[in-house]
Amino acid sequence: MSNTIQIRAHEIDGQVTVKSVINHPMETGNRKVKKTGKKVPPHYIREVIVSRNRRIVMEAFWGKSISRNPYLALEIPGRKGDLITISWLDNRGNSDSASAKVR
Amino acid sequence: MKRRTLLKAGVQAALAGIVFPGAAIAGYPTKAFLAKETPEALREVLGSADIGESDKIEIEAPHIASDANMVPVRVRSGFANTESISLVVAGNESPFTAHFRLYESQNFVSTRIRMADTSELLVVVKADGVLYANQRPIRVGRNSCRA
Repeated sequence: MSNTIQIRAHEIDGQVTVKSVINHPMETGNRKVKKTGKKVPPHYIREVIVSRNRRIVMEAFWGKSISRNPYLALEIPGRKGDLITISWLDNRGNSDSASAKVR
Repeated sequence: MKRRTLLKAGVQAALAGIVFPGAAIAGYPTKAFLAKETPEALREVLGSADIGESDKIEIEAPHIASDANMVPVRVRSGFANTESISLVVAGNESPFTAHFRLYESQNFVSTRIRMADTSELLVVVKADGVLYANQRPIRVGRNSCRA
């Protein structure tokens, strides 16, 4: 798993707006495959951690009702050049992490 | 080689020990996400379901959602020391949707959620240890999901 996270972070007047999209199927476990009628097993992100300069600024706990390819935006104090890191962990133990500099 | 093994150890270990030293990762509120009723879920996560309404919580969401699987939601809390923001969709099979813990001076979160049916979106904010809530009805079309 790599490159599942896109991050954009920009600063205006000491306020950093972070916007991110994670590529993930976010299966609820209720969707059925039409051909076979079998349910697709649940597969969803449970935790997302956002940090700025290696300090956690947000912990998100998600259930199955978060949309596919989840979008997450937040606003934190910060400066240009700060390092924003986003990591996620799903119910199967898969994980990924990505960083971006504040512009 | 060492990097490999660290990656394999999983995000939990990596986060606790390497990426964010010194920060405690609290457990995932499994019971809240399994709860079928809103008050039960709120008690699991926030310790109480007895919450006063507040206009200081701004919820930006469509009145009518064109795609029930991708309802954009923006929440802005008017409280200075906002500690957490929780989203609950009463009409979903498992109403508890998301819980955001905020550690810096921040009061905003935005994401996209699924809604099984037309229902209220309840937003609960914890600020200075006190719980506040606000809600917004969101209508969804026919092609809705079961979340």
